[in-house]
Amino acid sequence: MTNLNAVDPAAVAQDAHLESADVVIGKNTIIFRRFLRNKTAVAGLAIFLALTAFSFIGGFFTPWDKETIDPFNIGMPPSADHYLGTSQAGIDLYAMTVEGTRISILIGLVVGLVSVLVAAVYGCTMAYFGGKVDKVMLFILEALIMMPALLVVAVATSGGGEGLKRNLPSWLLLIIVLLVFSWMGTARLIRSMSMSLMQRDFVKAAQYMGVPPRRIVWRHLVPNIGSLLILDITRGVTAAILAEVAFSFIGIGIKVPDVSLGVLIGGATSQVQTFPWMFWVPLTVMFLLTGSLAMMNDGLRDAFDPSSSSTGKAKKAKARKTTAEKKTA
Amino acid sequence: MSSETTTGAMEPARSDVERLHVAGLHAPTDAVLSVRDLNVRFNSENGVVHAVRGVDFDLMPGKTLGIVGESGSGKSVTSLAIMGLLPPTAQVSGSVRLKGRELLGLSDKDMCKYRGNDLAMVFQDPLSSLTPVFTVGTQIVEALTIHHPTMSRTAKEARAVELLAMVGIPSPKDRLKAFPHEFSGGMRQRVMIAIAIANNPRVLIADEPTTALDVTIQAQVLEVLHTAQEETGAAVVMITHDLGVVAGMADDIMVMYAGKPVETGAVDDIYYNPRMPYTMGLLGAVPRVDVAEKSSLVPIEGMPPNLLHAPTGCSFAPRCPLASEACHDGEPALAPVDGQGLHRAACIKSEALGGDVDVHDVFAAPPVPVSRFDAVPRAERSTVLQLKDVRKHFPLTRGALIKRRIGTVKAVDGLSFDIREGECFSIVGESGSGKTTTLLEIMEFHADQDGEVVIGGLSNKQAADAKTKAKMRRELQMVFQDPTGALDPRFTVYEVLAEPLQNAGMDRGAIRKRIMELMKLVGLQPDHVNRFPNQFSGGQRQRIGIARALAVNPKLVVLDEPVSALDVSVQAGVINLLDHLRAELGLSYLLVAHDLSVVRHISNRVAVMYLGKIVEIGAVDRVFDNPRHPYTRALLSAIPVPDPQLERTRERIILQGDLPSPLQAPKGCNFATRCPVFAALPPAKQEKCLTLEPPLEAAASATDQQFACFFPDGELDEDMLVVHETADHHAP
Repeated sequence: MTNLNAVDPAAVAQDAHLESADVVIGKNTIIFRRFLRNKTAVAGLAIFLALTAFSFIGGFFTPWDKETIDPFNIGMPPSADHYLGTSQAGIDLYAMTVEGTRISILIGLVVGLVSVLVAAVYGCTMAYFGGKVDKVMLFILEALIMMPALLVVAVATSGGGEGLKRNLPSWLLLIIVLLVFSWMGTARLIRSMSMSLMQRDFVKAAQYMGVPPRRIVWRHLVPNIGSLLILDITRGVTAAILAEVAFSFIGIGIKVPDVSLGVLIGGATSQVQTFPWMFWVPLTVMFLLTGSLAMMNDGLRDAFDPSSSSTGKAKKAKARKTTAEKKTA
Repeated sequence: MSSETTTGAMEPARSDVERLHVAGLHAPTDAVLSVRDLNVRFNSENGVVHAVRGVDFDLMPGKTLGIVGESGSGKSVTSLAIMGLLPPTAQVSGSVRLKGRELLGLSDKDMCKYRGNDLAMVFQDPLSSLTPVFTVGTQIVEALTIHHPTMSRTAKEARAVELLAMVGIPSPKDRLKAFPHEFSGGMRQRVMIAIAIANNPRVLIADEPTTALDVTIQAQVLEVLHTAQEETGAAVVMITHDLGVVAGMADDIMVMYAGKPVETGAVDDIYYNPRMPYTMGLLGAVPRVDVAEKSSLVPIEGMPPNLLHAPTGCSFAPRCPLASEACHDGEPALAPVDGQGLHRAACIKSEALGGDVDVHDVFAAPPVPVSRFDAVPRAERSTVLQLKDVRKHFPLTRGALIKRRIGTVKAVDGLSFDIREGECFSIVGESGSGKTTTLLEIMEFHADQDGEVVIGGLSNKQAADAKTKAKMRRELQMVFQDPTGALDPRFTVYEVLAEPLQNAGMDRGAIRKRIMELMKLVGLQPDHVNRFPNQFSGGQRQRIGIARALAVNPKLVVLDEPVSALDVSVQAGVINLLDHLRAELGLSYLLVAHDLSVVRHISNRVAVMYLGKIVEIGAVDRVFDNPRHPYTRALLSAIPVPDPQLERTRERIILQGDLPSPLQAPKGCNFATRCPVFAALPPAKQEKCLTLEPPLEAAASATDQQFACFFPDGELDEDMLVVHETADHHAP
């Protein structure tokens, strides 16, 4: 036969090249490198990880917990006994902050992850089937967007949901309600992205091979919008934390005895003058939490964006020097 | 071009460039543009890429320099460096002199005095190079205003009309007020040329100006470029990967490889007496539309080198079949061939390559594969695909709320043909002729279609249930145009190839075995299955696409422009592979391509489509050697041939205008609006073309050729014929 099947020296040489040298860099490596190059984003990640660690192991550093009342220290500023002071009722603020941070992060992560996942499957399904399916699903989506989330949260957590409240802790109830109302925007975005992916030849190729639709959505569409999904998760986590804080602040989110950052901030607003630490400590933690996520999100966007100005090991200084030399020459 | 590069383009330090100019080695008096030791470096994730490594050339007024090479060889970067359009992160060094004045190192603001004035550029993609929100007239006037602020408005408008007329836009005065979207791609490229020549540039850089256009439009645009050059006396730098396009136009050719010129010389020297194996390979890799003799194409194996690291030896050595030990020490400099100064090649063996060295021997082109079906007469072979009167009409509606039907787009209009076992059937035509719609109609395969599609004995009219469809999918598979888009970037090769097999219900062990077979079959290394598509070159990706199509052992493979996204050298390898697979596996192909040279090389039968109809069909050699329909004749004459002598003396039919819009489609013969025969007919005979639709009839002799024309051998209109009698102005 021909030399088509023979292993030719050129290909072998090129192969050795590919394996030994850094010709092909995996996409993930590139993204990782670009992310690391953004110092703000790395700082954000560090802060977020530190806060998460704090919320889990912080409780071991104090003998107090969020329910024990210290009758000798009521409304005391930070001291050696109580690192961050105590509340008007004599409960240790440090213990409450640890607990509150954990609940807030938990709500943020669960809502952020699950809502994006729901949005991805829903959006891709709409895009893949198109036509009538798309129209009906789009109608449901639009209807949900128009529903006043605030009222539903208020009803579910205080008035109407008595039965629910008995069976579920208030943070779980809030997660469910937030989930129902947080995925629509992302789903719409994903729908339009997948619609353009549908035009790509590899989806057509799969269709022409007779691959069933379910598999095409799961194996071809969802992974290919992965970078968008990751961005949306970090954004969704921030949004969920803020929503929790806001709802708890106006008294319809997490209910005492459960503690969250929002409950702490909400409870302390009336006492900013008398017990300032009760207000500023949870506020700072919340700011660190959402701020770190925003910093990370910025770096992630830069890392994923193919048209980003992140130009590799750019030696800008050298470039400037050569042009300067040329001008003087 | 004089002697300084013989010392090696890389040798002189950057500051020495100025000294070269002063020493008079630079010829400021006669060259309008002279480039010396141009180097461009980019920063990338992997380190510094040295994209252009020492380019030197002199461009004389009124002459044309063709720069050819594969993608990634630094052609476009060179042109952008000259124009000063590279991003600020690029490091450019060397010297670019326009009429003796240095351009490199000028600030963006200073460059603006030259850009669009003495130095103009035509870009590749005409669809995106005009601003959609301004009229064409405004954009031409803008180019004039910037460089001639004192010109009066009427004068500018008069000049704009003059320019549009020069580039052949009908009724230029009215068209001034038209927006870019009202023009077709070819017309927009003409407008771009008009803008480029608005200020009588001394140098016009055309970067792949016709790559995005159809062949017939390409012929028109090349003609316009030719006129523009004659009118303005500008020197032209023509950048292209298509050796045919420059053959007729260029005076000098520079072949670039890995960022360096590897062979330069007068056009005849390069085409008839190439001395660098790379040039020889490029020339051998191009199929010829005018040659019937079947011989395998010359593939250049491997990929261009990585420009992150300075090559230690000849940059082409890893791919060169003639490479020896000596090639690996030191990069050869451009050296004069046979002692004459103008033809220079960067190869230590250039002396030995002269005369009658056959490129097929040098590159070990595979022998022509013979299929077991070739010996069987066509009528005795079984039919794998049959189309009977297939139609696809799209309603054309207008109105936002209430949709009125204002016409019908007949994308496919009554198509019938069949494909027998072991043959390659091609459909050719301009874009918009309905080639791709035909493919989609075949791939769709459902009962509601207008017309009957029979694939391997299964008709779409009888049971089009899921089972029949699954069975049909095993008979018919598709290879896509863009190998990158057709492979899911997140799948490894193994997953890509496993998908159709899993779908066919094969078990794990069998899948693994089959994938190893497939990898060998398409000439890929079996241990590469765990790589991702982005770790392969374009040609290798297309091989993966072919392997995927062959996975379920189909009888018929549909190829949608399988090589048009590939470089010529890689294209040759893929075409050879397709040829070989057809012979070895007894496959049939349905090929859609706009490149007639590829079609001629690979197919047995061909159908020419125009506005949804077949206008001529038959055995490929019959149709190409003796075309009867005027459209086929025009298409064939528009294909550039990589043969400068032939190109210069060839008579060429330049069709007027573009495909008519479906609303203006004529009643009788579709082609009448653009037909060169029709234009030359007396009015009495024209009447017949306008009212009656010509049927597809067999040619008089009992050969395999049918065409749809009343006056097949009619005389051609003289206005549409162009011959360039420029043989003597090409003397060096």
